[in-house]
Amino acid sequence: MKIGLEVHVALPTKTKLFCSDSTSETREPNSQICPICVGFPGSRPVLNEEAVRVAKSIAIALNCRVREDISFIRKVYFYPDLPKSFQITQLSESIGSDGFLELEKKRVGIRRIQIEEDPARIIREEGYTLLDFNRSGIPLVEIVTEPDITTEEELREMVFTLRTILHYQGVDVNQEVKTDLNISLAEERVEIKNVTGIKNLIAAAQYEITRQGAIIKKGGVPEKETRSFDAASGTTKTSRKKESEEEYGFIYEPDLTVYDTKNLSENAMRIPTKIAMGLAVKHKANYSTILELIAFDTGALNLINEFEEEFDFKTIIASLEIMKRFGEPANSGVFKEILGLTDQKIDITRDVLKKIKAGDKVEIKKFSEPQIDETIREMLNSDKTIVEKYKKNKNVVNFIVGTISKKYGIQPRDAAARVEGVINKL
Amino acid sequence: MKSYISEFESKDKPKDYYQKLLEELKGKNRELHVFNNLNEDLRDGFPFSVKDNICVRGVESTASSKILKTYKPPFNATVVERLQRQGFAFLGKTNMDEFGFGSFGINCETPARNPFNVDYVAGGSSSGAAVATSILKYHVAVAESTGGSISAPAAFCGVVGFTPTYGVVSRNGLIDYANSLDKIGFMARSAADIRKVLNMSVGRDEKDTTSLDARLRDEPKIQFSVINQLMNGLDDKVRSAFDKLLEKLKSMDYKINYVDLKDIEAAIPAYYIISTAEASTNLARYTGFKYGFKVGDFSKRYNDFFTEARMQFGSEAKRRIILGTFVRGASVKNRYYVKALKVRAMLGEKMRRILRESLIISPTMSITTPKISEVEKLSPVQTYALDMLTIPPNLCGFPHVSFPYEYIDDMPIGAQIVGDHFNDYAPISFVENWEGKFKYRFKYNIGAI
Repeated sequence: MKIGLEVHVALPTKTKLFCSDSTSETREPNSQICPICVGFPGSRPVLNEEAVRVAKSIAIALNCRVREDISFIRKVYFYPDLPKSFQITQLSESIGSDGFLELEKKRVGIRRIQIEEDPARIIREEGYTLLDFNRSGIPLVEIVTEPDITTEEELREMVFTLRTILHYQGVDVNQEVKTDLNISLAEERVEIKNVTGIKNLIAAAQYEITRQGAIIKKGGVPEKETRSFDAASGTTKTSRKKESEEEYGFIYEPDLTVYDTKNLSENAMRIPTKIAMGLAVKHKANYSTILELIAFDTGALNLINEFEEEFDFKTIIASLEIMKRFGEPANSGVFKEILGLTDQKIDITRDVLKKIKAGDKVEIKKFSEPQIDETIREMLNSDKTIVEKYKKNKNVVNFIVGTISKKYGIQPRDAAARVEGVINKL
Repeated sequence: MKSYISEFESKDKPKDYYQKLLEELKGKNRELHVFNNLNEDLRDGFPFSVKDNICVRGVESTASSKILKTYKPPFNATVVERLQRQGFAFLGKTNMDEFGFGSFGINCETPARNPFNVDYVAGGSSSGAAVATSILKYHVAVAESTGGSISAPAAFCGVVGFTPTYGVVSRNGLIDYANSLDKIGFMARSAADIRKVLNMSVGRDEKDTTSLDARLRDEPKIQFSVINQLMNGLDDKVRSAFDKLLEKLKSMDYKINYVDLKDIEAAIPAYYIISTAEASTNLARYTGFKYGFKVGDFSKRYNDFFTEARMQFGSEAKRRIILGTFVRGASVKNRYYVKALKVRAMLGEKMRRILRESLIISPTMSITTPKISEVEKLSPVQTYALDMLTIPPNLCGFPHVSFPYEYIDDMPIGAQIVGDHFNDYAPISFVENWEGKFKYRFKYNIGAI
């Protein structure tokens, strides 16, 4: 089996690719538009340098050859969402090419990374179609992979790895990513166009693997065609039989000059998988645990880096997991205190977190073990029958365990063990 | 040096000057179809007209195409903005071949007519701009050339027409024909006026990525190069008039040098391939629902919907869309589009070698002004071939000027001077010099004070 992807992601820029309209989310349709992104005659595109800068960073992060003199092309087709009836995109002179994505056990080739403009949003209603040009001209990168993915597991790993790298380049990975999926179990390539979102991408692949597999089992051959994915039913269906390639009549975009990318400063190159591996080796820690913590949380990585020298690595990881468990964002400022308490083996309960957040002092009561045992003995002495009852039902000391746990800030489990120890010694 | 702009500024205008001007112009317009619309609110300032493919805020700008009827751009072209800021007064939008597709001005609903004789063409595609310049005493025209659309009508209407180096005047606001070839330029009754408006219009514009901040030179050349290959196929009358011009130039101490430029014949196919390839993509946006002609019937499928809109195109526009779509098709692209780009680069290099030492001179058109009835009979290929003299400098983005130098049977004919890139003022300086020995003839002087 061979799978290749064409992934489209919106770049994190404040303004559109060829005009100065905002890219921010808005409820009001057609409120962030101008003659350029609606394609009015007489208007012309002016390239957003920031979009090129981020695209260059992504290309470097994906080990691509970065082109110094990029140019743009016109891809001509007629569709109501395409205001000029051509899309300004890139082909042979695109920002990146010949890269790869490092997975745990293999490399997936990146054929090309190209910068292009998003078309308008189509809203289909009963009997008519509406167009929202707010999306028209949003900068995208299209990442074209080689058909190197051979299992569903690899597909998942590839998508995860790509997303985490993009996250570290500032891309909003929660956006609705649009993907074209090429998948062939036999010779001919089946393309599933415009799959929206990651869940659907996996579902489309799963369905297609099953569908093509069934054809082959029956002795048939899956045909070369373009299919579309229906999210509601989780199935793909034929949208066009491909006798020949589409004809887009590419020409150079003559309104944009050759653009020199040499002097664009790229983002810091942080590849989360590599970083997690580095940390795991350095601290003899678990790679997956680290990756899971930092994959979509640059803040967590920043905290690791900040406290790595000062604290035990296991304590840092434990503290980050506590943060994650309570849904505390890495930048919430409570981390340092959690870290300090964890370091002193203080259990962080929701109550403790509340106190930290309220700015209350969490009292760290340090008692010696004999002192704790003495308290237990005192409580046991107040009711002579308890020890006898305890032999039949251990629950009778629950109130003692609770009190000890609270008073000395130790885990209930540990408190119970202490109580049992004292009783046994009596 | 005669400057109508300076003269106009120094004169006291009667109170109803602009009103009378408009009235007279409206009368003439009914006869000659010069303007697609006139600015009724005209007041104060030296009048300038704008070719109808250049946007003026709130004013219908159709490029003389039915598909753009009612399109009122919400912005000004940069050139319009700059001239208005200098106190010039927008007079109206001038007629043209639809989207600039033509050499005679006849590819539109109501073709402009030659002011010297209404049976003759005005030239194209900036037909109205040339006629306006020829009939108005105080006026400059903002026009546009892709393959000769300023030179040709300027020559046929007996005015000065200047096309600058590609990129020195912003194209922001131009309704595109072929973006890598389109140049906004000017027509006037004197070279000094061209110099003035060019000076006000040049300079980098953030809204046009291809606009340049180059310093334009005025580097005089005493040598004129005549390209032998361009002299084949000249009409006899044009040939003998041009030879006389060369003699006159010699007497003015210019040197004439005959040179060979063998591959120059490739300029026409290269031009028509690049220009139609780009045009066919530019015209793809006219689909009938956002601006201009609207289909209205939204029950149609999209393919049927935009097909109905695109029936509004004239036959030459349709021809160029089909041709342009063909030459950029995947199976033939390397044979046509890619090759044409190479020819353009090669010819540019060869011409630049000649232009380092000299200016290139030729007649503007190989024929005298034809009658409308004559050009209607020509095949497209015959028509395209008539652009032989104007295409080379346009294809390679060299500045050039067409100026009248003779009248044959009471019709003006023009010659064309080409300069090196950014030496834009050299051809203008030459015409200023030439005007000292030449008397312009105009049939009308509308707006004379």
